Amino acid sequence: MSLLGYPFAIIFSVFSFFQIGFNLEDFKRNLANRRIVTDPLFNPKWEWAIENASQALLETIQIAILASILGCFIALPLSFYASRATNQTTITYYIYKSFLNFIRTIPDLFWAMLFTVAVGIGPFAGVLALIMFSMAIMGKLLSETIDSIDLGPLEAAKASGAKHNQAVFSSALPQILPNFTAYFLYIFELCIRASVILGLVGAGGVGRIIETQRIFLRFDRITPIIVLILIAVIAIEQFSVWLRRKIL
Amino acid sequence: MIEFKNISVTYPGGVKALNNVSLEITEGDFVIIVGMSGAGKSTLLRTINNLVKPTEGEVIVNSKNVTKASKKELKAIRSDIGMIFQTFNLVNRSSVLKNVLTGRLSQVSTLRSIFGLWPKEDKEIAFESLNKVEILEKAYVRGSNLSGGQQQRVGIARALAQKPKVMLADEPVASLDPITSRVVMKYLKQINQELGITTIVNLHFLDLAKEFGERLIGLKDGQLVYDGKVNDVSDQDFENIYGRAIKSSDLLGEED
Amino acid sequence: MNIPKQPFNQKILKYTITVLIVIGSIWSASGLEITPERFLTAPSKVWILISAMFPIDLSEEAFSRIVPKVGESLFIAWAGTVIGAIFSFPVSFLAANNVAINMVSRVTKQILNIIRAFPELILAFVFLPITGLGPLTGTLAVGIHSIGTLGKLSSEVIEGIDEGPLESIKSSGGSKINELLFGVVPQVMPTITSYWLYRFEINLRASAVLGVVGAGGVGAELINQLRFRDFPRAGTVLVVTILMVLIVDTISAAIRRRIIKGREIKV
Repeated sequence: MSLLGYPFAIIFSVFSFFQIGFNLEDFKRNLANRRIVTDPLFNPKWEWAIENASQALLETIQIAILASILGCFIALPLSFYASRATNQTTITYYIYKSFLNFIRTIPDLFWAMLFTVAVGIGPFAGVLALIMFSMAIMGKLLSETIDSIDLGPLEAAKASGAKHNQAVFSSALPQILPNFTAYFLYIFELCIRASVILGLVGAGGVGRIIETQRIFLRFDRITPIIVLILIAVIAIEQFSVWLRRKIL
Repeated sequence: MIEFKNISVTYPGGVKALNNVSLEITEGDFVIIVGMSGAGKSTLLRTINNLVKPTEGEVIVNSKNVTKASKKELKAIRSDIGMIFQTFNLVNRSSVLKNVLTGRLSQVSTLRSIFGLWPKEDKEIAFESLNKVEILEKAYVRGSNLSGGQQQRVGIARALAQKPKVMLADEPVASLDPITSRVVMKYLKQINQELGITTIVNLHFLDLAKEFGERLIGLKDGQLVYDGKVNDVSDQDFENIYGRAIKSSDLLGEED
Repeated sequence: MNIPKQPFNQKILKYTITVLIVIGSIWSASGLEITPERFLTAPSKVWILISAMFPIDLSEEAFSRIVPKVGESLFIAWAGTVIGAIFSFPVSFLAANNVAINMVSRVTKQILNIIRAFPELILAFVFLPITGLGPLTGTLAVGIHSIGTLGKLSSEVIEGIDEGPLESIKSSGGSKINELLFGVVPQVMPTITSYWLYRFEINLRASAVLGVVGAGGVGAELINQLRFRDFPRAGTVLVVTILMVLIVDTISAAIRRRIIKGREIKV
């Protein structure tokens, strides 16, 4: 099968590139436009950026915090139902597993668009979208982790007459807690990045500002904002990496 | 009293683990089951609390039919049966105390157990059980930080915390050294004698069986081939059970 | 009976974490002016939207508009992943601290981190004035971001290899290149290839979204339909996108499983 794979991949790639219509002439012409982007870089408007973007950046972070916490903790019980190890009832297992798979197929921005239409523009839509986003990722990662836990303690709990939920809580949950924590921090990082973008469709946060400025080609304002975002994202990431190392 | 009535167990895949085994175990008995790996010892033990469902036959424990019990009845029956395992089956990341408390789960509401709101009496019982196996001082140590022998003692404490009428031990010392093995067997014997708990132990070390056993049951290829007092057993009987001459791997060995 | 006391640290850790999480959530929620009742009313509002989408628009017109766009997303994702794979592969060696010298690997890692920090959408923004509206921008955005992530992941795989085969090559007189080609590459290829495929799955979702800024793909369709309140057609976009993602995910997962399994059997 691998013999077939490679030529297919290559042909498909070439085909894709043609579809995209890479055109050398256009590219050269457009390259001349680069000054629109690069000129303002030398004249960044920091005060403006700091004044306007700080509030939005805070919003972005709050959206990420709320959504990742809610999404991950909702996904926790769901994951147990979506794993063969802790859910022997075939019907519910397939229902929960399919639900998690389904949620994974929709990109976060699509969720955001749908929620803005349903509950209105603003950060709430963003939170809802990222909750789905977090649930999807945590659900997949966690249910796979649960699939490979040690079933012995679970058997011991059942043998002592404990109810199913009690057995899972006392003997399965503690086994995956370190993983849950690591995944949570990872998802939190992802949410911060995603939250930046959500503003683009009106779901709150920094993206909104970037979008308005982009329309007016105010790259002198966008650039400092992007730099601020960069710093914030890297700082949060470093913090989260440090936290992960400390805990585990 | 435990009654096995014509128990047969066939696993999916066709393996016949038990073949028409009938047996009676009196209350307070200390029984040791020996046999080769695959002879059906584990399977037999697990039909007592229905962790394995017999394909044919029934098991009656203290007048209650385990095999035909409903889910609710089964939980009640199981709460009176304590079990310890070859691999200890402790929750590694939890403390010793938490592990022992899982023995009380059947007596406490789900909500309470989730939030760790154990009633005082249950905690007392847990501490007492730990004390009985002389490991009370390790109550807040993580399970994985203990040695094999200590972990098995925690396993015994967990089973004791259930205040069981029956104690099942599935190869409890198979992964322990000679000294620790004897310590564990000593505790099991002690519990049986002091508290009158019917105890059934799977072993494959013959010398241990002779040292601690009272009644011996031999299984071979899923069938009952010996049932009698340990003192009456000859080396020939052992060879019948194992179907071959005794090897050194069948003996635990001396204390160093 | 001498009952021991519970060590202080255990209790403190649990309570601190719980408190942090609760406070974090409340602070965030109040900052965003989100109350619990908004959560309770949300499901019904979502249901209204969903019911407005069904029955979805199955007309010729709808399909003729949507399918090409969905295909465009597919191509963007694929081409972007290819770019990411091709360029990240050599770079990952430079970033691996067991192949490249310490200084080089540290610098490369930092560069990769910076590239990774830009979400595809932001990159698309930056390229728009240069490469114009259309799928090329999307491909560049996806591709460059992929170089960052794939570069980091691949370098971690390289760092985690078994040094044994390398030693045997060195001791039999092989050059550094030989070491790389015959010692490192065979070990890391299965995992790295599976990362490429996984990246393709993710890039597919990213490229679907890039349409929102005009960088090609089906995102533009969705946002237009929603803006014009043409819900049935929006529903069609969603369904077609979901189907495409499901199909690609399934195929990719199957291939990845075979690749990893193959490696296990060899070893």
